[in-house]
Amino acid sequence: MKRLAAALLLALSLGSCAKPDHRTHIYLQRFFGECGAEYGGSTDVAKAEGECGIITTLINRFNAENPDVHVDVNVVAWPGYPQLTAQVAARDPPDLVTMHEGVISDYALKGLLEPVDDYLKAGGIDTADFTDAARAGVTINGRAYGLPWDTHGGLFHVNTALFAKAGLMRSGKPLLPNTADELIAQAKQFEARTGKPYLIQSNVGDPAFAARNLYTYMMAQGAVLFPDAHHIRLNTPVGVQVATFFKLLNTQHLGTLNMDTPAAIAAFINGEGGIYPTGTWMIGSFQQEAATPGRPLYKSYAVFPYPRLWGSHVEYVSGHSWVVPTHQRTAQQRNAISRFFKFMSAHNYDWARTGHIPAFKSVLADPRFKSLPHRDDIAPLAEIGRPLPSSIQRQNAIEGIVGEEAAAAFTGQKTIERALSDAERRVDDLLAEVE
Amino acid sequence: MAARLGSPRLTWPARAALAFAALIMLAPLLWTLLLSLKHNADLVGHSGAALRPPYTLANYGAIFGNSLTLRWLLNSAIVAIGQTAGVLILASLAGYAFARLQFPFRRTLFVIVLLGLAVPSQAVILPQHQLFAWLHLHNSYPGLILPGLVAPFGVFFMTTYMRGIPAELDEAAMLDGASRWTIFWKIIVPLTMPAQSTLAVFTFLGAWNDYWWPLISATRSDMYTLTVGLAAAQMNYAQTSGLGYLMAQAVFASIPIFIVYIIFQKQIVRAMAGAAVR
Repeated sequence: MKRLAAALLLALSLGSCAKPDHRTHIYLQRFFGECGAEYGGSTDVAKAEGECGIITTLINRFNAENPDVHVDVNVVAWPGYPQLTAQVAARDPPDLVTMHEGVISDYALKGLLEPVDDYLKAGGIDTADFTDAARAGVTINGRAYGLPWDTHGGLFHVNTALFAKAGLMRSGKPLLPNTADELIAQAKQFEARTGKPYLIQSNVGDPAFAARNLYTYMMAQGAVLFPDAHHIRLNTPVGVQVATFFKLLNTQHLGTLNMDTPAAIAAFINGEGGIYPTGTWMIGSFQQEAATPGRPLYKSYAVFPYPRLWGSHVEYVSGHSWVVPTHQRTAQQRNAISRFFKFMSAHNYDWARTGHIPAFKSVLADPRFKSLPHRDDIAPLAEIGRPLPSSIQRQNAIEGIVGEEAAAAFTGQKTIERALSDAERRVDDLLAEVE
Repeated sequence: MAARLGSPRLTWPARAALAFAALIMLAPLLWTLLLSLKHNADLVGHSGAALRPPYTLANYGAIFGNSLTLRWLLNSAIVAIGQTAGVLILASLAGYAFARLQFPFRRTLFVIVLLGLAVPSQAVILPQHQLFAWLHLHNSYPGLILPGLVAPFGVFFMTTYMRGIPAELDEAAMLDGASRWTIFWKIIVPLTMPAQSTLAVFTFLGAWNDYWWPLISATRSDMYTLTVGLAAAQMNYAQTSGLGYLMAQAVFASIPIFIVYIIFQKQIVRAMAGAAVR
């Protein structure tokens, strides 16, 4: 017993000899996965690859450059909002959180996020340098509720070898349509000459795919999707026109049917179709295929924003941002958050290597960004990108409902009018529950 | 097993049919294992690449390369063992009381316990979360273990099993001067070992595989259980660009369950067979 007591005393005294930690700790919560095995000790941002590698290395670098601050990182399963909500309910939220811009309103309008204007000002961040899409994504009632980090949206990923075979290349670039009729004509030509579908579509289990198509081409025609904060309007002549167009593509077998996301990605990689409309986040994987000899996509890949088919050239987008949940913090912690924002703004180019569009105009114009593969072609997304109105809450859930009903309309499982009116009813019911 | 129970020996066609059925059941497991042994990049284009060598342990190396994986494993083990032990103790005691003792409102209380079977855990998640926040038990082992101890199925299961044990055994022991506790501990508990084993396995499985409560109660990565930790370690679109790693995670997370089943296989089979002939 005496020996045990002595051992405990020794352990306590040794513990009390530990070096005191005078650093200011800020607690950061993010998704993008965990890759400590590969990047846990790395501060060389230029050598990091992929979302996880780059974000991990950036935070390591911030800690290394700011010895008086330490960012404690908590990696959550994507998208992390159930955990964040639980933390807010338990009054123990993190200091910094990665958040999709479409989700900001859910928290900000309930007072659960701090406006970050003061942090941006203290960090010397010029908000005039935000791209239009990025600014719209984080601004509610004239106040910024997050540091915009990127813009992401749908892109037309193109197999240029098949396009060449279909006679749809001009001056080394794919010929994309300018009207809905042109798209149908090109799709028919493509199928006739290649024997393959023009569009690869993930209409199964991927509601974002159909929602993106419907939102984008309704917005392009000036449709007001949300007349107020509690109602959506889809069953309109414009909505019916867009849905009818995508249904026509399917009834004429110009696009694949019954594919989920993995099947659609595999189909595109294996050269089984001309265009795969999916997000910015796939550029890295497809470019890797395009750079690998022997692969069907080898030297046969190009990517562009959705083409203008009606009205003006706009596209529905979202983005990632850094937000600050409402909580009591010391002056040192607030200062550390400002410095973190400044650091992340200064490294927005590094993040843009993931395939996402930068949130800063200066990075868009940066020769380093322009020299990255395909970036010149997709950069217009920062100008044509339009998020949903920031006053609309539950945007993720709404996207799920709209995507599900739109996919039912596109694939003929429901009549177009029925699917669109069902979507309206379900979304209105959802929005009736929010304050 | 069938021969011991006195049923006729299996014919070759029956054996072939059973082997075929077993193969069908094993196929997804083998497929998962093969996928886990391939590089992610090999599987992006076509998952059929899993049928062809070369194979690699790189995905398993990546799992162990995360410094927190062993911590998550330990957390899961503590939570699963803690819940299993707690449920066995509480369900056995409650089951004995409902099966053998006479006390006021016994039937009413048992009905209330049975009603608990009809209440999904999601229905009480909000007040449960608020209660644990008020008690400052989130991000702690008690916070992860205690909700799992509310096990109406365990109480019902043990009550039913104990009712099937002849009451004459208790009476004989009482004549010999045994106390209630002695009867419970020395006679009833040993006779319920098959049921205890079955309940233990079900509880352990449930606790090990639980995702929802640990997801919102353990919000700091050092308190994650394995299910939450492995999910957090995944990158977006893991099902396409990280399929090999995803499958390695699935295999890794199921190994402890597999070991538990191997250890308790005899008891589980005995309990199931016993329940079937009762």
